[in-house]
Amino acid sequence: MKRRDFLISTAALMGSTAVFTNLTTLSAVAQETPVKGGTLIWGHSETVQNLDMHQTGTASTSRVLQNVHSSIVTVDANLNVIPGLAESFEEAPDGLTYTFKMRPGVKFHNGATMTAADAKYSFERCKDPATGAVNFEVFNNVASMEMPDEMTLVIKMSQVNAPFLARLAENGAGVIMPKDSGDIQGTTPTGAGPFKFVSYEAGNAVTLARFDEYWDGPAYLDGVVAREITEPTVRLTGLRTGELHMINDIPPDRMEEIKGDTTFQTVSWFPLNFDFINMNNDFEPFKNPKVRQAFDMVIDKELLLQGALWGQGKITASPSYPTSSAYNTALVNRPQDIAGAKALLAEAGYAPGALKIVFKATTNYPYHIEAAQILVEWFREAGVELTIEQLTWADWLSQVWTDKDFEMSMMNFFGLWESDFLYYSLYHSTGGFNYRHINDPVIDELVTRARVTVDGTARADIYKQVQQRVFDEALDVVIWFRNGSAAAQTSVGGLDTLVHPNGNALQFHKVWLKA
Amino acid sequence: MSYFLNRTLSILLTLLLISMITFAVTNILPGDVAMMIMGTQSNPEALAGLRQSLGLNDPIYIQYAHWIGGMLTGNWGNSLIFKVPIATLLLQKATASAIIVVMSMTIALALAVPLGVWSAVHRDKWQDTVSSSAALFGVSLPDFFWGIMLILLFARTLGWFPSSGFSDPGEDFSQSIYHAFLPALALGLGLMAHLTRMTRSTMVGILGQEFIRVSRAKGLSERTVVWRYALSNAIGPVATIAGLQIGYLFGSIIVVETLFSYTGMGWLTYQALLNRDVPLIQASVFVIAAVVMLTNFLVDLFYLLVDPRVRLG
Amino acid sequence: MSAVKRFLTTKGLIGIALLGLVLLVAILGPWLVPADFATRMDMRARLSGPTFAHPFGTDQLGRDLFFRVVLGAQTSLTIALAAVITSIVIGLPLGLISGYARGHVDNVLMRLVDTMLAFPALLLALTISAMLGPNLQNTIIAIGIAFTPFLARIVRGEALRVVQMPYVEAARASGTNDVQMIIRHILPNIMPQIIVQATISLAFAILAEAGLSFLGLGTQPPQSSWGLMIQASRDYLDVAPWTALVPGIAVALTVLGLNMFGDVLRDVLDPRAR
Repeated sequence: MKRRDFLISTAALMGSTAVFTNLTTLSAVAQETPVKGGTLIWGHSETVQNLDMHQTGTASTSRVLQNVHSSIVTVDANLNVIPGLAESFEEAPDGLTYTFKMRPGVKFHNGATMTAADAKYSFERCKDPATGAVNFEVFNNVASMEMPDEMTLVIKMSQVNAPFLARLAENGAGVIMPKDSGDIQGTTPTGAGPFKFVSYEAGNAVTLARFDEYWDGPAYLDGVVAREITEPTVRLTGLRTGELHMINDIPPDRMEEIKGDTTFQTVSWFPLNFDFINMNNDFEPFKNPKVRQAFDMVIDKELLLQGALWGQGKITASPSYPTSSAYNTALVNRPQDIAGAKALLAEAGYAPGALKIVFKATTNYPYHIEAAQILVEWFREAGVELTIEQLTWADWLSQVWTDKDFEMSMMNFFGLWESDFLYYSLYHSTGGFNYRHINDPVIDELVTRARVTVDGTARADIYKQVQQRVFDEALDVVIWFRNGSAAAQTSVGGLDTLVHPNGNALQFHKVWLKA
Repeated sequence: MSYFLNRTLSILLTLLLISMITFAVTNILPGDVAMMIMGTQSNPEALAGLRQSLGLNDPIYIQYAHWIGGMLTGNWGNSLIFKVPIATLLLQKATASAIIVVMSMTIALALAVPLGVWSAVHRDKWQDTVSSSAALFGVSLPDFFWGIMLILLFARTLGWFPSSGFSDPGEDFSQSIYHAFLPALALGLGLMAHLTRMTRSTMVGILGQEFIRVSRAKGLSERTVVWRYALSNAIGPVATIAGLQIGYLFGSIIVVETLFSYTGMGWLTYQALLNRDVPLIQASVFVIAAVVMLTNFLVDLFYLLVDPRVRLG
Repeated sequence: MSAVKRFLTTKGLIGIALLGLVLLVAILGPWLVPADFATRMDMRARLSGPTFAHPFGTDQLGRDLFFRVVLGAQTSLTIALAAVITSIVIGLPLGLISGYARGHVDNVLMRLVDTMLAFPALLLALTISAMLGPNLQNTIIAIGIAFTPFLARIVRGEALRVVQMPYVEAARASGTNDVQMIIRHILPNIMPQIIVQATISLAFAILAEAGLSFLGLGTQPPQSSWGLMIQASRDYLDVAPWTALVPGIAVALTVLGLNMFGDVLRDVLDPRAR
C-alpha cells in the first residue's frame, strides 16, 4: 500500500529530463548597462569560519573568499585551465616542467605589486606541513621552484603529475598571497582579488569592499556584506522584506514558489555538488559485490531525489562534472528492483531479515536525514533492517571520515571537478578521501596511469573506465547532482556571472545594483 | 567577614573544578577542530599538519596549563575555528546575550508581579484560577516552542518584528532592541509564568501575617496594605527567585538563540561545542558558570540585606 | 480535608485527566497503531494541512502527524521517565549520605553538586550527549545526570531536617545502625518530597528531551519523538505551521498535566509548602 502510494505520487510529479545543457538557468531579466556603486547585502546560508584560504576546507568559507583572492590560473565554463594571475603558462612536453609568466602590474590589497616571488612564497607556504594547508599534497611532486627573473616562476616536478595545473586552478592551492602575509591570512585575508576584506564578525557577517586596483578592472559594487543567516525560512523572509538583496540556497520545497514570483530573479545551476551513498567495503557483507549491487538496486534514485530534495537536482551514475570531458555518458543508474535485489542477496547468502545495517547520516545536511528515512522503508521491503544514526558534523567527520567506522553512510562533495582529485582521492586504495576502505587493484592501476598520462583525451578515457568500474562493482551508489540556487531582488544586475564554474563559489566582480 | 572570604574561596575552587571538568570533557568529545576546519577536504597528513600548527598535539595537561595560565594573565587566546581573539568574541556575544537576558527578566517581572499579587489577593477566587492556570500553562511550553509561536504570529503573520538576527547595539541601539524583542519575549514568557507562581505563594504567606491584619485594622486602604506593605515584604523573596533563574536562563538561551539565529553566548557555546573548539568551549562555559555563581552569590547578599534573620555562615 | 478530597480539586481533576489521556495514548498507542503508520510516506500529500485522511496534517515526507504524535508519546514519556529514575538512582544516595553523614563528607559532596549546578542543566545534557553520541539511551543518561544535582540538593536538605527529629535521636539512642536508620527512619520520611520532586522533574525532562532533540542531539529518526517533530518542522514553519503546532501542543498538554498533578500532589503530601 505505502509503496504504491509512493510510486504513483511520483509518477505524477516527475517531469524532469536529464539534459546536460544550460548549466545556469536564469529567470528572464533584461540586460542593462551596469552602473557603479551600492553595497550588496547577501544572505549567506552558512557560517564562515577560519579565513585562511590555505587551511580552510569548508565550502562556505571558500564561497566568500573567492572574491578576495585570485589564483595563478583558473578555469573557463568547460573547466579548461586558462590564465589567471599568470598571463601565460607552459607545460613542457615531458610533463616535468611548468613555466609561469606572471602578469605585470598586479596589485595586492596591501599595496604591494605582485612578482613571481609572491607565487613562490604562496606555494611554499601551502606545501609546508607546518602551515596545515588542506591542499598541500598538490605540491607533493614539486622538486624545485625557481625564478629565472622577477616575473617568471619555473616549477620542476620529480615525476609527472598530469593534473597539477588543474589543481592550481583551485583557490585553495593556486591562490597567490603577498609575500610574508601568512601570519595575517587567518584574521585579515589579503590577496589580489576584486574585493578587499574589511571585517568579520563571527556568526554574523563578513564585509568586503571594492579593490579599485584589481588587475581585471574594478568591480561595480562598492562592497558586499555577506550576512550569515543559516535558517532557510529566515533568509526567504529577509529577501521578501527587502532587508537582503540576494540569498543563496533557496529551500528546495520553496523553489517553484520563488521561481514563479516575478518580484524576484532566481538563478539555479547544477551541479552544486554530487551525492552518493557509501558502503564500507571492509564491512563483511559489503565485501561481496553482489550485496553492494543489490543495495544499489533497492534505491530508486529519481524518487529519492523527489523525496529528499523536492526534485531540485538530476540523477547521475557518475560523479564527474557533467561539463567535464571525462564524464561517462554511457552509464545509467540501476533502476529500482526490489525482487531482483532480494534474489541477489539470497545468492550472497543473506536471507530476508539477516542483514541489519546502521546508516550514519549527518545533520549538517538535513536532506541526508530525509533521504535516510526514505531508504529505511525501501530496505525494509528488501528484507534489510536499516537503523539511522544521526550524527553532528564533528561526529560524522571523526567516525566516518577519519576512523572509517561505519557500515553505510551518505555524503556529498563540492567542487571536485578535477578528475584526478576526484578519482584518485576517493577511489585509490591509498587516496586521501577513501573512507570507504575501497581496495580495487583495477582502479588503483587506472588512476595511477591517468596521473602520468599527459594527453588529455587519453586521460579522459581512462577516467571513463574508472567510472565504469565503480559502477559495475557498485563501490558506491552515486545518486545525483544537487542544484545550486540563488534568488535576488530585481535591482541586482549581472547575476549570470555570479556562479564560478566550480559550482560553489559566488563571484561579485561583475554583479551590480540598479540605482 | 569570614563569610565573604569563605564564599569567595569556595567560588574560586568551584570555578577551578569547572575548568578542569570542562577541559577533560571537551577532550573526550569525538573529533577535533582540525577536522572541522578541513571538513571533507582533509587527509591524514594535512590534518596532522594543521593539528601541529594549532598546537593540538601537546599533551592535554600542557594544553590545560597553557590555557589556565593565559586566563589568569588576561591572554585568552584565539578561537581555533573563528580565528578571532576569544576575549573580543566573548565580549561581543555576552553583550548580545545580556540584552535579551535583561529584557526577558524585565518583561517577566513586569508581568509576573502584578499578576501574582492580583492572584494572591483574590486567592481561590476565579481571578486566582485564571492567572494560576495561565502561569501553569506558561511553564508547560518549551521556550523554543514559545519562540516558534512568536515567529509565526509576530514575524510571519503580522510582520511586526524580524524573525531572526542580531543587531549591534553600538551601531543602532533601537535596531538592536527590535531584533532582541522576540527572543527576549520567548524567554520571558516561560520565566514570567514561573515568577507569577512564586509571587503568588509569597504574597499569600505575607497577607496571612499579623502585621497585615494590624494595618488593615488601622484603617489603611486595601490598596496601600497590599501594594505598599505586603509587596515590599515580598520583594526580597521574589528577587531571590528571579536571580536564581539566571542559571536556567543561560540553559534556555542555547536553544532560543539558535532558533532566532541570535548570535549571543548561547549560540557561541553551541557553535564551539559543535566545532570542537576547545579553548572557546572552555572560555564560554567558564564565563557562563562564573556569571551563574556570581549571581547566586549576589542574590544571597541581597537576601541578607533585606532579611536580617538569615544567619551568616 | 482528607487526602482524596484534596485531590478532587478542579486542578487535580484536570491534571489527572490530562495525564491519564497521555498515559493511555502512550501505552495503548503502540498496541493499536502499527509502528509503520508513523513512517508511512505519501508523496502526494507532503506538508498537507489537516484533511479527512490526515486529521492533524502531514509532515515534509507526507507522514501522518496524528500517528506520529501518538507513537511519539511513548518515546517522549519513556525517555522522561527513565531519565528521572536515573537521576533518583544517582541523586538519592548522594543526598542521603551527604545529609546523614554531615561534616566533611557533606562538604565534599556538596562542593561537587554545586559545581554541577553552576552548569545550566541543558548545557550539561548537551555536552554529555555530544560526548556519548546521540541515541535514545544516551539521551536518558544525559538528562538523568543533568538533573541529578537538583535532586541531590533537595534530598540532602530533607535528610538534614529529618535527622534532627526527636524520633531519629531516639532510634539512635536505642542502637540502630546507620543503614537501618537511613532505610527505616529517614527514607520513609522524605519520600513525599521525592515523589513531588520526581513529578516536577518529569515535566522538566519532557521539555529537556524536546530541547535536545530540537538541537539534533536526542532521539533519532525515523523514530518519532515530539522534540524531533518540532525540530523537523523548523524549515517548514512558513508553509506548514501545523507541523510545529501538533507536537508542540502534545508537549504542552503533557507537561501541563504533570505540573497540575504535581501541584496537587504537593498540597496533599507536603502541606507545609503551600
